[in-house]
Amino acid sequence: MPVRKRRLPTKSLTGLALALPLMAVTACGAGGTPAKASAGSGSGAITVWGHQGQTNEDTALQKAVRGFNSSQQKIKVKLKLIPQNDYTKTITTTNASELPDVLEMDGPTVANFVYNRKITPITSYVSARTVENATRAVKAEGTVGGKLYALGMYDSGMGLFADKKLLKAAGVAYPTGLSDDWTSTQFTDAVRKLAARDPDGKSLDIQENTGLDTEAGTYQFAPIVWSAGGALLKNGKAAGAIDSPGAVSALRTFQSWKKYTDPNTDGNAFAKGRVALSWVGHWMYPAYHKALGSDLAVLPLPDFGNGPKTGQGSWTWGIGADTGNGKAAGAFLDYLLDDTNVSAMTTANGAPPATRTALAKSPLYKPGGPLRLLADQLAKPCGDTHITSSCVAVTRPVTAGYPAVTSQFSQALNSVFGGADPKAALSKAARAIDQDFSDNQGYKIP
Amino acid sequence: MTSDSPAQALAAGRAKAPPPASARPGRPGRRNREWVHGLLMSAPALAGLIAFVGVPFGYAVVLSLYNVRLGSPLPPSFFGLEQYRRLFTDPDLSGPFLRALLNNLVFAAVVVPVQTALALGLAVLLNRTLKAIGFFRSLFFMPVVFPMALVAVVWRLILARSDQGMLNSVLHHLSLGHWGAHDWLGSAATAMVSVIALSIWQGVGFQMVILLAGLQQIPAELHEAAQLDRAGRWQRFCHVTLPGIRGTLVFVALLTSVLSFRVFDQVYILIRGGGLNEDATHTVMYEAVTTAFDRNDIGQAAAVTVVFFLIVVVLTLLQRRFVRPDPED
Amino acid sequence: MTRTPLRRTLDYLVLSVLAFIFVLPALYLFLGSFKPSDQVLSGLSGFLPTHLTLHNYRAVLAALDSDSTGYFWHFMGVSLLLAAVVVLGGLVVNSMAAYGLTRLRWRGSSALFALILLLMLVPFEAVAVPLFYLLNGARNTLAVQAVPFVANAFSIYQFATFFRALPVSIEEAARIDGAGPWRTFFAVVIPMSRPVFASVAILTFLTQWGSFLWPVLMVSDPSERPLPLELSVFQGQQPPDWGQILAFGVLLVLPVLIVFAFFQRWFVQGVAGSAVKG
Repeated sequence: MPVRKRRLPTKSLTGLALALPLMAVTACGAGGTPAKASAGSGSGAITVWGHQGQTNEDTALQKAVRGFNSSQQKIKVKLKLIPQNDYTKTITTTNASELPDVLEMDGPTVANFVYNRKITPITSYVSARTVENATRAVKAEGTVGGKLYALGMYDSGMGLFADKKLLKAAGVAYPTGLSDDWTSTQFTDAVRKLAARDPDGKSLDIQENTGLDTEAGTYQFAPIVWSAGGALLKNGKAAGAIDSPGAVSALRTFQSWKKYTDPNTDGNAFAKGRVALSWVGHWMYPAYHKALGSDLAVLPLPDFGNGPKTGQGSWTWGIGADTGNGKAAGAFLDYLLDDTNVSAMTTANGAPPATRTALAKSPLYKPGGPLRLLADQLAKPCGDTHITSSCVAVTRPVTAGYPAVTSQFSQALNSVFGGADPKAALSKAARAIDQDFSDNQGYKIP
Repeated sequence: MTSDSPAQALAAGRAKAPPPASARPGRPGRRNREWVHGLLMSAPALAGLIAFVGVPFGYAVVLSLYNVRLGSPLPPSFFGLEQYRRLFTDPDLSGPFLRALLNNLVFAAVVVPVQTALALGLAVLLNRTLKAIGFFRSLFFMPVVFPMALVAVVWRLILARSDQGMLNSVLHHLSLGHWGAHDWLGSAATAMVSVIALSIWQGVGFQMVILLAGLQQIPAELHEAAQLDRAGRWQRFCHVTLPGIRGTLVFVALLTSVLSFRVFDQVYILIRGGGLNEDATHTVMYEAVTTAFDRNDIGQAAAVTVVFFLIVVVLTLLQRRFVRPDPED
Repeated sequence: MTRTPLRRTLDYLVLSVLAFIFVLPALYLFLGSFKPSDQVLSGLSGFLPTHLTLHNYRAVLAALDSDSTGYFWHFMGVSLLLAAVVVLGGLVVNSMAAYGLTRLRWRGSSALFALILLLMLVPFEAVAVPLFYLLNGARNTLAVQAVPFVANAFSIYQFATFFRALPVSIEEAARIDGAGPWRTFFAVVIPMSRPVFASVAILTFLTQWGSFLWPVLMVSDPSERPLPLELSVFQGQQPPDWGQILAFGVLLVLPVLIVFAFFQRWFVQGVAGSAVKG
């Protein structure tokens, strides 16, 4: 085959070269046909995709679906769980016509799916009450170009989970809230001091078993870049933001923690008392609380100079661009986002509820609740552009080019943890991101 | 070494032009009808091969000249040789690809001699008439039937970097407590060694069996004659065994080098969630898949594919050149 | 060659030590699958389990038992079905092609055979990306996982090598009896060619059973996932349960090991023959 091709005259070769990609474009529908979602009858079967990661979340979602199916006769929901690590690319590679009626999306990918015409605005299908009841932060996360595309059951927040008993035994004092937070130096000292007393010399867990070179890695460690005065993207450019001197030195500090970090292959380093500190999101709270009880403390992430920062935003729900049954999809979302299901889910995964009514009732996040700190952090939102020293919860860049940003940043993060030079790794990431944006003409949403 | 049909590459080098069909006697009357049957018989396979090997390969060449993004609303735009420039000469973007090439080269440079030597050693050990020798042969061959995805998972646990990892624990006991926990997969120095070790464990049985078959074709009289000449074991190995399997040996070595460039499964699984040091171990195929799949950059992934193919072809041609002068059995 | 009892003992000793080291990882897998999960990662002291339990196996079957996560036996079924289609379909299609191109004489047959030898140079990895782009519309189907692998240039080559060595007289005799090429092939040639069918079948089966790259690219739906892909999904579940993951691994490799135990001779001949005879 290849040999034959070479014998073809130049002209027909050029013709072929032009024709084939066009053929593929039409064949694969990659060019994207305009969304043609319709409301449908509001009854019948609909398909739903959710991400599969934390066992407790999976179970809660399965339960909600069962509840919905038995609560009424008209609509039958069929749920498919797709592994978290492949989830986003699965949606990217699937044509809109093959996508389910309802799909879960990681918050920062919503803009990309709007750009790729995978989803449709939800306001015409979901009830006004549901939209009204959503928290401001979660609505902002699901809004692209002024239209609402997604709503979530829960928001998210990062913290340092600490084992009071181990801290006390090592004589390490720890902050009580945002105002007396550890600086990065104090944090590193604490880690070192704890490690010195630890039988295996490891005192910190960063959930290494989930892999740093993933969206989870970006979510966990972008806060140190923000806290050091950097950003992932500034005015649509990564150069000068992601590789700013502050970001470089923050990643250098991060690198120095490796020798104190438990690889956590079994996922139990903190719960089993092997480490005193766990750098992780709210989702580990239920397991940690169960294992440690009143010995568990929740601290803000350390301050690298620009005030403590945390990530924000989480999995959200939207409607496929090609759904033939938008009404039924909306009815399912109304059900999913009611108090019962939001409370059940957030009890299972310990997340801050993303609806006003459920948040007010949440025993974990109400004033005086054990995770109140995370709620306080979310109450000081930065948005994705104005990262000042007084705000805490930062939204990851809302751009259709986010996949390139996170892929490059998490790759840099992973290689720095493996020993690479932070300056070189971040500059490389910056240039690769900027190149990708220019290849895609700045990812302008049409 | 790779779960993807090792044997396919294997025979590629041995392929020779078929004997001219006209050399055979045949009645002219028959020949007229035979082309119908011949074509019908071969049509399904030919159609499959053209559709799923020939066309996609030609398509890869075309795609590599375009800026094509998966799922993008922008139409593909002609890019000329830009993708290749980025792969090879761009100071920023060429980094990961060139590193992947280097990793493949390092992998091949270690695996080819070590695995071939090991396979030969095992083949010589197993080429004797002992009771239960068949049992031993199966034991050494057994890992070949393990899917690479499983091999990666098992070795991930053996090489776990905590002091409870099996290898660390064994070394701890052997060294009477002097061995601290080492991060086999995560450290840049040992990540590649780890991948090599598990790949050899899975793949060596395959090469061993080929060499064993080669050894068994050496006439026993040659060994007996050498023994009569009072040649020692080592001398016999050098002067009878080695020349007897020279062709097979060269063949196995070159086969291993082609396979070294196709490594993917174990690297992919161990980097994602196994804590494997990505920089030190990612291969050309890994680069192609992540470029297409994580970064949606089909054009660049196609360019990586084309370069990958050229490397394999060069290795295969080398294989042919080396093996051809060898006398056939 | 004569061997003294001492040398024979020595041979056994060396072989046994080597074999033991070689078998350790597999042993680790099997023992681990019967251990409570917290003992899997407990170093040398936990290598030999204190008590064996089938709990992990039950837990795997219980965890993978719903529409949303997929069913374990369904994954197994997908793998078996794909293997059956690729192996059986491949045997028919490729042997027919080899016969039609090398034993029937017609103009163009040798050119087509040369084309197949040329396509044999292209490893699957070299077409994975464009094929993924081309067939993306057929994601998550069984057909897209099986059909591209039925026609296989290497299998054709193996069959051709074998068919060429068959004496011409056999077909002549069949022809004199009035058999056409199809009957000659199915009734005379195939029964004589069991060894090559067996070794092609086994090599194809091994490759297909472990196939990973293509499913990674094309499959996300739990109802179409083959076992090796599901293993990587299963081990990514948080928190990981290593006892269950190893039990899953055993269930993945067991069918191949059983086939291997019964058809060992063919495995070895298939591998060895493909190289030496060439």
